[in-house]
Amino acid sequence: MKPPPFEYEAPSSVEEALPLLGLDSTVLAGGQSLVPLLNLRLAQPELIVDINGIAELDYIRAEDGTLRIGAMTRQVTLERSELVKERWPLLSKAIGLVGHAQIRSRGTVGGSVAHADPAAELPVALTALGARFHLRSPGGTRPVDAADFFLGPLYTVREPDELLVEVEVPEPIDGAGSGFAEHARTHGDFATAGAAAIMAPGVHAAVVLLGAGPMPVRAEAAERALTGGAEPREAAALSAQDVEDEHRRALCTELARRAIEEAMA
Amino acid sequence: MRISVEINGREYEGEVEPRTLLSDFIRHTAGLTGTKVGCEQGVCGACTVQLDGEAVRSCLMLAVQARGRALRTVEGLAGEGGMHPLQRAFHEAHALQCGFCTPGFLMSMEAFLREHPHASDEDLREALAGNLCRCTGYLGIVEAVEQAARELRGD
Amino acid sequence: MKLVGRPVRRREDERILRGRTRYLDDIDPPGAAHVAFARSPFAHARIGGVEVPAPSAGVLAVITAADIDGRVTDLPVQGFEGGEVSAEGHPVLARDEVRYAGQPVAAVLAESRALAEDAAELVEIDYEPLDPVLEARASEVTMSRWHRVSGDVDGAFAAAAHVVRASHQLPRLAPVPMEPRGAIASYDEAGDMLTVWVSAQDSHRQLAGLAKVLDRPEESIHVIVPDVGGAFGSKGAPAPETMLVAAAAMATGRTVKWTEDREENFVASYQGRGMEADVELALDEDATILAIRARIWADLGGYLMPTTAIPTHTTAMLMCGVYDVQAADVEVVGRRTNKVPTGPYRGAGRPEAAYFVECTVDVAARELGIDPLELRRRNLIREFPYRTALGWTYDSGDYARCLDRAVELVKPERHSDEERVVGTGFGMYVERAGGQFETAEAELLPNGKLLVRSGSSPHGQGHDTTFAQVAAERFRVGLEDVELRFGDSKEVPRGVGTFASRSVAMGGSAVLQAVDALKEQCDAVSARLGGNPSLRDIAKAEPRLKASARFESDLVFSSGAYGAVVEIERATGRLRVLRIAAIDDAGTIVNPLLAEGQVIGGVAQGLGECLVEEAAYDEQGNPTFASFVGYSLLTAAEMPPVLAAFVESPSPLNPLGAKGIGEGGSIGTPASVANAVADALGGVRVDPPFTEDKLWRALRQETA
Repeated sequence: MKPPPFEYEAPSSVEEALPLLGLDSTVLAGGQSLVPLLNLRLAQPELIVDINGIAELDYIRAEDGTLRIGAMTRQVTLERSELVKERWPLLSKAIGLVGHAQIRSRGTVGGSVAHADPAAELPVALTALGARFHLRSPGGTRPVDAADFFLGPLYTVREPDELLVEVEVPEPIDGAGSGFAEHARTHGDFATAGAAAIMAPGVHAAVVLLGAGPMPVRAEAAERALTGGAEPREAAALSAQDVEDEHRRALCTELARRAIEEAMA
Repeated sequence: MRISVEINGREYEGEVEPRTLLSDFIRHTAGLTGTKVGCEQGVCGACTVQLDGEAVRSCLMLAVQARGRALRTVEGLAGEGGMHPLQRAFHEAHALQCGFCTPGFLMSMEAFLREHPHASDEDLREALAGNLCRCTGYLGIVEAVEQAARELRGD
Repeated sequence: MKLVGRPVRRREDERILRGRTRYLDDIDPPGAAHVAFARSPFAHARIGGVEVPAPSAGVLAVITAADIDGRVTDLPVQGFEGGEVSAEGHPVLARDEVRYAGQPVAAVLAESRALAEDAAELVEIDYEPLDPVLEARASEVTMSRWHRVSGDVDGAFAAAAHVVRASHQLPRLAPVPMEPRGAIASYDEAGDMLTVWVSAQDSHRQLAGLAKVLDRPEESIHVIVPDVGGAFGSKGAPAPETMLVAAAAMATGRTVKWTEDREENFVASYQGRGMEADVELALDEDATILAIRARIWADLGGYLMPTTAIPTHTTAMLMCGVYDVQAADVEVVGRRTNKVPTGPYRGAGRPEAAYFVECTVDVAARELGIDPLELRRRNLIREFPYRTALGWTYDSGDYARCLDRAVELVKPERHSDEERVVGTGFGMYVERAGGQFETAEAELLPNGKLLVRSGSSPHGQGHDTTFAQVAAERFRVGLEDVELRFGDSKEVPRGVGTFASRSVAMGGSAVLQAVDALKEQCDAVSARLGGNPSLRDIAKAEPRLKASARFESDLVFSSGAYGAVVEIERATGRLRVLRIAAIDDAGTIVNPLLAEGQVIGGVAQGLGECLVEEAAYDEQGNPTFASFVGYSLLTAAEMPPVLAAFVESPSPLNPLGAKGIGEGGSIGTPASVANAVADALGGVRVDPPFTEDKLWRALRQETA
């Protein structure tokens, strides 16, 4: 199908972009989620604000131990980052599972977060890492914790006049291991279930499930159990305990177990 | 709006709307029909071209986004000296039947092998998952890519 | 020089690899009008009225059924022998009723596809939704029926030591060729010539369909089949949209182009499978099968497309499988449902029969406590030709050898531990191929080269290379001296076309006969000239030497045995196919490289059916598969090793001894995988697709 007609603007800075945002406009970042919707005519925006020309949003840097990723950083850039591989390996593991190379070459980190597809890996990994998202509007910038950012499928706290400009990931916890496991019908297809885990034994545990609810949620009961010395199997069962469907619960439990064991290895 | 895009080293100019897809610009404005369209959803990979050397889905880009950029399509894969090792390997291993998916595979895997010359067989299989084929059952394609990888490494 | 039997690499490849192909959408006639369809969003509805939008820039016309009333008829319907098939066909555009979501109701012609889609959204159709019927068994409308009783079936069941019953269900599948459908039509009023380019399996059936629906003489229609990006049965029968394109070209005087997009291809292209069966076997004490009873329901969709009913007949006729059973009672009813019509899709009735029979045989083996391989061996047909109880004659075969080879290559494995279960299963098949006739013409060109025009039409199979091998060997020239022509109705002799695994057996034999006849003519000229004239000399002495052939034959019957080893992960129910052994007997193999390619391609589709594919409608009759989000295809990452081998028992029915190889992979795979899954599950039977959800629950049922 061909997209419906729309107005088009391509600002080259955040300043230029902000006045264009609003209820009738849609931001075009990597396009890997938006353009299929346009092509199926499931999205019919009046104005598309193409932010691919905003070079100032394309960066990965560590500042005082904190990782800062510009929203327009391509997923492939994140994938290739040695810095991220070494210090935030959960992100490297998650990004490698996103779609296929051809998607990651255009898809962006900010786009994946803002789109909030319940099957997406990055929101899950970033939630486990305790990330923060910076939203900029004409009124200023506000940070939102990942735990508060996602409200439901394709639904976040971002207001129509806000632009996601940066993803901030705190300093990694000493001695923490990480794991990511997911399941899809075929390789590279949308994940049907998954789990991200971060474990520093006795100190910190984060477990977030993909596909267990309408958005990524930290499995707090499982996390407490792990910090208290529980076995992976036990903690995994706790993390999926609210999943109603029997098989889905078994699947989520198994993936959580794998992610936790990988984090403990 | 009028845009100009470099494809295979040559400039192509044409009139587009903002909603014109890059795949349609390449095929119907530039007239380079070697790139195919199979889904317009970014799944099948038939439309894969290279943008600054990276494999991308041309059905998921607006033509206007390629303004002033450099693309390579299957028509630009063979060099002065003949077909690319991938093309020759596809032929040798019977890795194509109807051929509709073939340009997309070639452009995806040329980029992948350039980036990962020492990819394991498992990595190759996973990289191949970004392109769909309904005719061959893939095993010939796997063989072709393994063969091409060996040749490109100089094994 | 011997070429038949050699794994010659394809001559077709270079232009494909260099991107020099011309599929339907690559053809851009200047000034063409583009078509988009307004399609029904409802599975079943009455149409009260259609209001076309006000004229707008770039939109040339909006066409409804009323506009083409009297200019087109409904599409024809093909029947089958010995049964009843309704004559009511699919309308080009819906009149006062729609019977499936996606059915075309109106067509918009515009300067671009995008503009046509914009306008199509504005067409106001007054729908009165009706309750859809979505189950074949529940439907009250029968559109086709076939029933045969042969031998003393009731007596056999009464006297049987064992009666085994099993029910099976095969969901619908979408063919999903990588290139969707499409057509371009252009009408030259002065010459009264309608030219139609169409992405199709052959020009002949398109031509016949256009002539019938538009009520024009065939000589006034020129059909050109360009490069075709796969079909698998879905581009055999002409599409209603093709008819509309042709009618629109004639009405407007513009060249009209329709390229189907993927969403349309999913919802509106006819689908495969969609059958369920209750099967009964009567067996005696020593596991001899005495009789077979089967009741089969086919979910045919809202209308009969031209070939919708054909697969049901094929399934019914093959319900004795590879077994020597002379008492059978088989009935198949095709019921109307509010879904897109079904039609031939790779296998086209044969996979269904193989599945129904082979799964029941395994159930019988388990109930009788006998090895499934042994049960098969005791009942295999061993002498040919063999006339079945249902009416076909199997010309040749070596079923026992196929089975032995399958066992040998698959290396059966059975295993169970805390983490996984592994099982092995087999599925045998026999299938009808070839039949009717095919044509070819051979000409000696002035430069001494051989030109062959064939009624067969390739869409990926490699006919250009395969037929060149046959022609070059018979004519005693090199491959480079043979040129083939396909697909253009003015360039090739009228033939039957490409489907039912018939191309080598029928098309190849016609090529052989035409070339042999031409060679005779050339030899006669050569003898007259004396000396050792070259072909060029002969052409000079006797220009325009030409021979034609029309090869006719009864059906030939390919067969095979497939084995599968599968693993199910207990924690998740995930199925991994560890390996497939594919043993096919397609008689003489002209090009083993290409033949193996057909097998592996068929296996991939069969595995897709087993693992991930299902064209499911929701309770309102809406398709859940309108995009790749709702319908998955396997990728390279999922393909297991396939150990393919051929058994060659030549057919006596054609000079090549060939049968057909195009469909075997899709016929043998589902049955063997289903039996392997049941083996792993300790006998619990599951129908495809074998999703994790089903297998996980079945494992718990098995251990409970």
